[in-house]
Amino acid sequence: MSQTNAETTQGIPKEIERFNVTFRIQHVLMFTTFLLLSFTGWGLKYAHEPAGMSSMWIRVWGGAETAGLIHRIAGVTMLLDFIWHVLYLGYLFATKQMTINLKTTVIPLPKDVFDVIKNFMYFFGLSKEKARFGKYSYAQKFDYWAVFWGMFIIGSSGFALAFPILISNIIPQAISGWIWEVLSIMHSDEALLAIVFILFWHFYNEHLKPEVFPMSWIWLNGKISTEQLKHHHPIEYELLFPEEAKKNTKD
Amino acid sequence: MSYKKLLTLVAPLLVLTFFAPGTGSAQESANCLACHTSMKGRLKTAGGTIIELNIDSEKFQASVHGSLSCTDCHMRFTDNPHATPGAAVPAEILATSSKISAKHTIDPVAAAACSKCHKETYEKVLNSIHGKNIAEKHQTDGAFCLDCHGSPHYIVPVKNPDSKMSRKNQIETCGRCHEDKKILEKYNLQENVIPSFIESFHGRKLHLGHTKVPVCTSCHNYHDIKAKDDPSSPVFGNNRIETCGKCHKGANEKFIPAITHRPPGPIPHYTEKGLIVLLLSTFAFIIVHVLLEAFSDIRDSVFRKGRKE
Repeated sequence: MSQTNAETTQGIPKEIERFNVTFRIQHVLMFTTFLLLSFTGWGLKYAHEPAGMSSMWIRVWGGAETAGLIHRIAGVTMLLDFIWHVLYLGYLFATKQMTINLKTTVIPLPKDVFDVIKNFMYFFGLSKEKARFGKYSYAQKFDYWAVFWGMFIIGSSGFALAFPILISNIIPQAISGWIWEVLSIMHSDEALLAIVFILFWHFYNEHLKPEVFPMSWIWLNGKISTEQLKHHHPIEYELLFPEEAKKNTKD
Repeated sequence: MSYKKLLTLVAPLLVLTFFAPGTGSAQESANCLACHTSMKGRLKTAGGTIIELNIDSEKFQASVHGSLSCTDCHMRFTDNPHATPGAAVPAEILATSSKISAKHTIDPVAAAACSKCHKETYEKVLNSIHGKNIAEKHQTDGAFCLDCHGSPHYIVPVKNPDSKMSRKNQIETCGRCHEDKKILEKYNLQENVIPSFIESFHGRKLHLGHTKVPVCTSCHNYHDIKAKDDPSSPVFGNNRIETCGKCHKGANEKFIPAITHRPPGPIPHYTEKGLIVLLLSTFAFIIVHVLLEAFSDIRDSVFRKGRKE
């Protein structure tokens, strides 16, 4: 056992970079603005209940006017961060630094549905094996695309609600009778979805899970150990180190 | 000196005070207040109306009208408590009082007396939808001075947070009639106006202590309030462009439908239903998944220790 370990450290790197510094900065911007938006928005969504609590909470954020300003600034920053991310992806594709490989892509595939089913069977004891993942597990893909959904629904409606006069100039007269109501419903309902999603899905998978507690450090250094890669992303591991993977299966 | 002798000496002097010239308003008020501050409870008059006897003199003097004397408004009375009310009242006030007598059965002259100082405002109210209901249709409903500003003896400035017309309190004050089912039915008024305001962005921010969000009077005006289908109402049709524009610079036809007291139409309604379905199904999936995964992790580490994956 110790022999193979020594060999492993010689043959392949101890850790590999999973997210470069640009992605890491985008992530930090995303979660700081997300927290600010959640904290200030929650006070407005539940302004009337529980009695008096929201007024107190909003005072923590400097009162209704200041909390509103924080919410708008954080919202615009988050949208800019999202646009930066999309443009950066475009740049990576254009310069061929990133290509689509079915084993490493974050794009949802039919395999992800089967992975979910397989894992559920494992949870119930019906299967002896957990699903094997490529670079991104279905949990991570879900996390990633949830942000896109949030940006389109909450981000666009939030922008319209923050700058209603600007938006009123470009919408057709026919929809002006109901669009404002729809925008506020979209913003508020989907924000609740986003908060609960982050609180359960992201927090469990990246913070509370026994193997990552208290948190996965990838967000800071962007690196994953080869040992963890082998364990959590076996398909990507096999793709990166085919020789090593073959050796392991032989053992 | 015996008690009786004292009385015969003092009684004529007391009577003299009633005729003393130029006693000044404070003195006059003091005469009335001497009894009315200590009187408690209510009294049914011969006409069948119930009047409140007690006046809190400290509160009265702290009010905006604290320097007035009682008879400035209660013109039919003199400060002689024993005289039958019947002092001369200016014809103009008398005419006004007869217009509003349906509403103010106790002392219509006193209610009309507001117009002595607040002439312009009074005219506006009489011509408003509220005032017309009283003066022209002789109804008892319809907000008049005291319905909004509270007891005439304790009116405080609107800027005072305790005022019934302060930014926070006016929602409740207007709601006393605009949430009254009987009044809503009788006059076929828009329902749900108060809850829809409270739920709106404006209402929420007001509750959280925002100092600039609009309240009832910001959009609907106050003394010369008009029905929403009156073309001169600030919330009628495109008048809202100017009304909303007071805060939202550049408001236009497509912006003004954003705030309304009407219940949401079918599109927002079904959008919300659809989003709730999405919300609940996502919650169900992630919560079930997280819990099952956690249990299976516990199961693996407790019961399947040492087992190789």
